[in-house]
Amino acid sequence: MIKFLKYLLASLILFFFLFPIYWLLITAFKHSEEWFSWPPILIPTALTLNNFLGLEGGFYGGMASVVNITPYLRNSVVVATVTALASTVIGAAAAYAISRFKVGGIQLANWIISVRMLPPVASALPLYLIFSRLHLLNTQFVLILAHLVLTAPLSTWILITFFNDIPKELDEAAFVDGASPLSAFFHIILPLSAPGLAAVSTLAFIQSWGEFLLALVLTSNADAQTLPIYLGRYITGFRIAWGPLAAAGLINMVPVILFSLLMQRYLIRGLTFGAVKG
Amino acid sequence: MYLQSRISAIILILPLVLVLVSLTIYPFLNMVYMSFHNYDLAKGGDPKFIGLGNYLAIFKDRLAVSSVEFTAILVVVALPLEMLLGMGIAWLFRNLFGERVIRSLALLPMMVPAVVAGIAWKMLFNYNFGPLNYLLSLFGVPNISWLGDQNFARLGIIIIDLWQWTPFVFLVLYSGLQSMPSELVEAARVDGAGSWAVMRYVELPILAPLIWIVLIIRLIDVLKLFDIIYMVTWGGPGSATHSFSYYIYKVGLSYGWDVGYASALSIVLLVVVVFLVNILMRALRLRALLEL
Amino acid sequence: MRLKKYLLPGAMAALMLVLLVAPAAPVGAQQPVKLNVWSSPDNADALTELAKLFMEKNPNITIEVSPISWEVLYPQILADIRAKTGAFDVTTWDLMTAGSIAEGMLDLTKFGEENPDLVDPNFDVKDFIPTAWHIYGMWGDKNIGYPFYGATMFLFYRKDYFEDEALKAAFKEKYGRELAPPATWEEASEVAKFFTKSENPASPTEYGITLMFPRTHTLFYMYLNWFAPLRRSEEGVKKFGEVDMDWGDLFTADHKPAFNSPEGVKALEMMEELMKYSPDPLGSDYGETFEAFGKGLAAMIPSWTATLAGWQDFPEVSPVKEKVGVAIIPGGYPVSGGWGLGLNAASKHKGEAFRFIQFATSKEGDKLQWLKYRVGPTRYSVLQDPEVLADSPWLGEVYAKSLENASHRPRIPEEPKLEDLMVGTLSEILMGQKPDKAAALEELAAEWTKILAGK
Repeated sequence: MIKFLKYLLASLILFFFLFPIYWLLITAFKHSEEWFSWPPILIPTALTLNNFLGLEGGFYGGMASVVNITPYLRNSVVVATVTALASTVIGAAAAYAISRFKVGGIQLANWIISVRMLPPVASALPLYLIFSRLHLLNTQFVLILAHLVLTAPLSTWILITFFNDIPKELDEAAFVDGASPLSAFFHIILPLSAPGLAAVSTLAFIQSWGEFLLALVLTSNADAQTLPIYLGRYITGFRIAWGPLAAAGLINMVPVILFSLLMQRYLIRGLTFGAVKG
Repeated sequence: MYLQSRISAIILILPLVLVLVSLTIYPFLNMVYMSFHNYDLAKGGDPKFIGLGNYLAIFKDRLAVSSVEFTAILVVVALPLEMLLGMGIAWLFRNLFGERVIRSLALLPMMVPAVVAGIAWKMLFNYNFGPLNYLLSLFGVPNISWLGDQNFARLGIIIIDLWQWTPFVFLVLYSGLQSMPSELVEAARVDGAGSWAVMRYVELPILAPLIWIVLIIRLIDVLKLFDIIYMVTWGGPGSATHSFSYYIYKVGLSYGWDVGYASALSIVLLVVVVFLVNILMRALRLRALLEL
Repeated sequence: MRLKKYLLPGAMAALMLVLLVAPAAPVGAQQPVKLNVWSSPDNADALTELAKLFMEKNPNITIEVSPISWEVLYPQILADIRAKTGAFDVTTWDLMTAGSIAEGMLDLTKFGEENPDLVDPNFDVKDFIPTAWHIYGMWGDKNIGYPFYGATMFLFYRKDYFEDEALKAAFKEKYGRELAPPATWEEASEVAKFFTKSENPASPTEYGITLMFPRTHTLFYMYLNWFAPLRRSEEGVKKFGEVDMDWGDLFTADHKPAFNSPEGVKALEMMEELMKYSPDPLGSDYGETFEAFGKGLAAMIPSWTATLAGWQDFPEVSPVKEKVGVAIIPGGYPVSGGWGLGLNAASKHKGEAFRFIQFATSKEGDKLQWLKYRVGPTRYSVLQDPEVLADSPWLGEVYAKSLENASHRPRIPEEPKLEDLMVGTLSEILMGQKPDKAAALEELAAEWTKILAGK
């Protein structure tokens, strides 16, 4: 009996978590008359690909069409991937220094995490001015840099706890054998913390992929704009073509979901700061 | 050997520090500097020093005050709810058939970019045609104006925040529970402890550090809440769903870069965040966690 | 010898830094002239097509049109103007932002005088509707843009119901006059009541009217539809003076707030009266009302020009020509919207940009953008063109009159802040949180005065 109630509750909870995603999914495949109706069409029968081809939704229908959305997809992929890689590399280097050599002590660690506390809104204008003087505005590169500021601190923090888990005896054994700290880093620490590295890069990828505000301020056209911006621009004021918007939303959502599902195990380790082996 | 290692270590840490320093220290210092000046891009002209003028203006600014109110509501309502719900779900889902699948599915709301979540929920909250109102109507509840009524709009934002982040709390705690050494629980059971007692005296204490970390991370993020509000309610109706971060956005960007005032507001937010987090971190005994 | 041990870590760090910094190295290359055109989403499609046509005639020029969402476009324009970086050459600017961006925009008339060879002989500046020329082109005596998108509000209504014999008879019986699109807001109340099912079970629609009073700039401009007729009435003009084109209808002739007055209160009362016959007015914005009318929920909708085209996708109101009628907004002084097309003073390709702007706002451009994209015309020649009139007969009378008599929001730099405060106050009043309307408006006027006096 209790088991049954448990399952019922679990199903309700899952329904709550999944329904909005499901709704977006079906809206992306509905004809425009069906986007809004009473009662709402929960199980669509007349499916269409028009929203993806830019054929539905009048003037705003071009949203998810391949021609229009590809540059943004490309930008998102490039920025998120490079941010994830760079964040991992930089974070690993810094985490090694802090974990093994206590560089900077608790003050440095505190400062690193306090960077996360800065509301991105506040740094938008100074960053805009810096980058505009460097003529870096509206490039993928500038977004990568800006995103690094958001992801590198957390990466470092998480990796510190992972590295801490690797017994120092291993390092010392290597030193006794004449290895330099750096080769200890490459040959011992990195391989053993592979799951941690995977976790950190996944988290960084997810954060960069979905980042909105800095991308909004620092980029201005398809050269460097990412998917969230492409979606965001249609949401206010004018007629919202929900179908194409949902389709574009799917494109924005599916890659990162697939990626996260793949990397689940590592994700969970990362989220729990290595406390959980997944 | 030690000295050499230390220098190598410092060299290794340099890139991180340089990136962070150049991209955060300068904006931060700039922000502090500007907060004491009157500099409004819409009006043009050069920054004019006005001392504490911006800070004093905050107190008289009713929009700022009401955004503090909403942010406080978020912290006091959404945060505990998401922690409790997350914990509850973690305990609930334990040992349930198909947990792998359930765990994967529960991940999804977190992975959805805030912008996309905003679109989905905006549809769900639609007054005339939204599925949510439809569901409620099946229970005889008349259509609710989620986006037009002050209280419901706030509730709406809280719901979306819960939707997005309860999974995070759930995941972390659930994983913590899963990897708990079973001997402890078994020992307690052998001693005659029921599930409730086991939870209270064995599991919670062991999970405590994780709970604190999650609380700190969520607190910081709730205080910075912006994306969802931007996409769904645009701060309305009235100024009901202006979070402090959102108000900074309005002043700093939307109005036309009132840099001076926005900087002052940001400094205030930063001070509050740092203060609150410090309290929490002390409780967490951070040093122990990082083994520093 | 010792130094060798630092070599590897040093190299690693150096490599990391180089990889971080390298992409910033400037790449010099010879490229054909590329114009960056920033545009709000409403203008983007029309501009893109105009750009394509222009590029066909000028193969050495590439134009990239970037749609940027409304609330980001303005801050981005501002940031670029102040930093003088020239990230855009041409941009559409919302008429309300005229004051703050004026400084960064090139004076087009002057530029034309300095470069007569670039001026299109058929451009015919006099062809523009005078109101349009002023609000989409002038700030003080600087010509900061050419009118691109003429926009004002209309009352769209279900022509099929208004012409239905049975309904007409029922209405005449009840109210003693003919059923017709209302000319005043008082009349609108009666018509809306007639078409609201809860008040009149025989109504074919659920609601009489669908209104948008959300907490966005929408509420700010909607208010003018009710306030302007009072402001511009005989007593209004006597009391407040003539309307200043730059400061708008919310101000008196000597730039003081005008809404903290019985007229300001009356406007709100009329809005409240109508809210009863509208679905979720406080939670509806442009998209929601558009949807509601398209699905046949309401009989009337005050809205913008572009909505008409969008309704052809809705079976309930198709064919649009037969089911949707267009009338001048009750009161007769619809609020103005719209966009000008301007040239960045810091642009590196002023000549090419100037030619493109002329092309886009020429007679042919104005006509094309209406016929294909429903971007409102700003020229008399288009409103009198037989092809246009065959397609949209209402342009001749209703549109011209509406734009000529449009009411205006302030175009001064402080506008966003003023607007935000006002939207907050109006929203709270309409939500019922401020029962003493006069006091609330007075308080608002005081806040406005403070802001205008500078911080």
